[in-house]
Amino acid sequence: MRKENNLSHLISHISNLVKMARKLLLEHINVPGINTLDVYRQHGGYRSVEKALKTMSPDAIVEEVKTSGLRGRGGAGFPTGMKWSFLAKPEGKERYLVCNADESEPGTFKDRYLMTYIPHALIEGMIVSSFALGARTSYIYVRGEMMPQIRILEKAIAEAKNAGFLGKNILGTGYDLELYVQPGGGAYICGEETALIESLEGKRGNPRIKPPFPAISGVWACPTVVNNVETIAAVVPIINDGGEEYAKIGIGRSTGTKLISASGNLNKPGVYEIDLGVPVEEFIYSDEYCGGIANGKRLKAVVAGGSSVPILPANLSLKTVNGESRLMSYESLSDGGFQSGSMLGSGGFIAFDEDQCIVRNTWNFARFYHHESCGQCSPCREGTGWMEKVLHRLEYGHGKMSDIDLLVDVARKIEGNTICPLGDAAAWPVASAIRHFRDEFEWHVTNPKEAMDRNYGLAKYADPLPKLEEVSQ
Amino acid sequence: MSEKVKVTIDGITIDVDPGTSILNAARQIGGDIVPPAMCYYSKLEGSGGKCRTCLVKVSKGSEKDPRPMPKLVASCRTGVMDGMEVQNITSPEVIEARKGVVEILLINHPLDCPVCDQAGECHLQDLSYEHGVANTRYEFERRTFERIDIGDKIQLHMTRCILCYRCVYVADQLTDGRQHGILGRGDASEISTYIEKAIDNDFSGNVIDVCPVGALTDRTFRFKNRVWFTKPVDAHRDCPTCKGKVTLWYKGEEVLRVTGRKDQFGEVEDFICNTCRFETKNTSDWVIEGPRQIAHTSVISANHYEMLPLPVIKQNQALIEANKIEFDRASKI
Repeated sequence: MRKENNLSHLISHISNLVKMARKLLLEHINVPGINTLDVYRQHGGYRSVEKALKTMSPDAIVEEVKTSGLRGRGGAGFPTGMKWSFLAKPEGKERYLVCNADESEPGTFKDRYLMTYIPHALIEGMIVSSFALGARTSYIYVRGEMMPQIRILEKAIAEAKNAGFLGKNILGTGYDLELYVQPGGGAYICGEETALIESLEGKRGNPRIKPPFPAISGVWACPTVVNNVETIAAVVPIINDGGEEYAKIGIGRSTGTKLISASGNLNKPGVYEIDLGVPVEEFIYSDEYCGGIANGKRLKAVVAGGSSVPILPANLSLKTVNGESRLMSYESLSDGGFQSGSMLGSGGFIAFDEDQCIVRNTWNFARFYHHESCGQCSPCREGTGWMEKVLHRLEYGHGKMSDIDLLVDVARKIEGNTICPLGDAAAWPVASAIRHFRDEFEWHVTNPKEAMDRNYGLAKYADPLPKLEEVSQ
Repeated sequence: MSEKVKVTIDGITIDVDPGTSILNAARQIGGDIVPPAMCYYSKLEGSGGKCRTCLVKVSKGSEKDPRPMPKLVASCRTGVMDGMEVQNITSPEVIEARKGVVEILLINHPLDCPVCDQAGECHLQDLSYEHGVANTRYEFERRTFERIDIGDKIQLHMTRCILCYRCVYVADQLTDGRQHGILGRGDASEISTYIEKAIDNDFSGNVIDVCPVGALTDRTFRFKNRVWFTKPVDAHRDCPTCKGKVTLWYKGEEVLRVTGRKDQFGEVEDFICNTCRFETKNTSDWVIEGPRQIAHTSVISANHYEMLPLPVIKQNQALIEANKIEFDRASKI
């Protein structure tokens, strides 16, 4: 609660600034009552529904989204327009749009924020997207723990239905759409699209083996598109202003704006809407965004896109190995591959100051993935538990030097050998933490007592930054 | 009849029907290039893809799209494409990954083979012997479960389970009314008959046959004998519910147990009913056909039983080169 108050305060503060950052999704977030249909419509809500349903053909909408260059905001960053155009359209079969609101990645809380404060943005996006895909039934699969958001969405859907934006013959155009909210059981794995579909069908949330992809055979073996909340909400400004206008924002193939959930040792953590391409340094230190590291400490490491992406030490998170400034974009953050890069992922930006223990953090992430592994395929089921146990041993001072290489090897055995990306997500944080902070792991082995009492600090990542060639070795 | 597609596995080309999985194409070739399978069961729809022991490298996707696949793929669930090239034992990457999977499968396995009824016909034993390493790097306590009796004929010992889901598919596809599934998740997940409800169905005993390890065992056979001391004999009877084609396992004059007839890949030819499996254990109930042929690699074949014909590799130069180990073994015998 405290955080939310804090956030709305911050956001009103930011919007008062003269040089205001562009906002597409969160433009009216601080308008009182924006969660109701009336206020939302007064601020231009549901314009895109009228425009899309009355003046555009479904294919034209898909083209518009393609032009916009919008990429999936859930983590993988797959171009949305392309995903939509892959949807099979066999005769006599229903098609479905499923909104993935099972946001459970540690460090990511943007979708919950969006759904809490502007639920109609999601519903508006759902209507337009469903129309574009020819879906007559759509689902919003919400994580089970988010009961308040489920109620908010259900209320908003009821409002939209009363106003004629949902149900039969929407706005007299002859298009029918039923929108349902489905609570999940509260499992991280149900954020994986095929596990989500299984769960939606009422089964155990085990990921399916692909192919066939959901675009061919998804919910009840019908063609299905699964999109993240933010992706669907971003369709609204694309339709309102046109895909070309949207594509002008951002940098390169990373177009548009992105919600970033900033957390960790920052002065102003919270949800920020940024233009893709903002330098990481600016995002952390400028007053417009996170306002620097809390308590005047120094930055040690950054997890740029939610717990599953590789962790980066301070120097590599601000600059790439080539010495270029690291930007908040799909390409720039993954510059250098897994050797010296990371990923934008879902935008769960976690900053660590010099007092944080990387080993403990890695153990914490490993514990999460161990707990959340569905247990279907062996490398992930057994490997995540193994990594957690070894990391626990290291953190609590019983580690051995060989444990570090063991972890690297186990992570390598899991990565890429599993049915779904959860195995990769479990392996990457461990592998990258050891790659970049091996000396800290070794210190935990050589000084077990000391490691219990104090933290390792910055070591070679202290200012001034080490030569980048050293790091890239 | 649609046209055959050409697939090359470890340098050996074969024409198979479209839609065949890589694993089944490899089984049609035979020999050492067949990837091991712990969870795939050709008679159970939807099985496979879980154990990851059958991972192979696709070095050429197809004739139309020759790009290699970026990751190793589960051969049991990946269909062949025309012109596909697959590497199994010729790819060090695959060998390495498979070693990893074997180690990972074994970290929570109790390795209580000396007291396990499955020993001697255990797929995990074969797998770790053929593809694993001799030691483990796992130094923590292994997960354990209490033994559960599923009815009066079957016992579930979850500690040994590798969660292949085969028994779940049997319960789903062979019996009516699903009572058998998975509870929990991650390494704490366990097979359950829906809060220990006994499976009373004519075909429930087949879960014993499909179990690749000793997690599901026949309570009428438990601790009676080691399988390699018993003598397998094919027999049949006129059964109203199933085909009645079984293997009887003799010790002297006594029939110790009855199972389905397992082929060289450890899969039963026909599922049998519980009456055949548990109730009819006298020679007089059966028409004896003759000794069961057992793969020459199996410990059960030791000494005195008829073996499956040796692999055909002696006649084929390409096979000899791709199957060095198999060839050495075959020429020794």
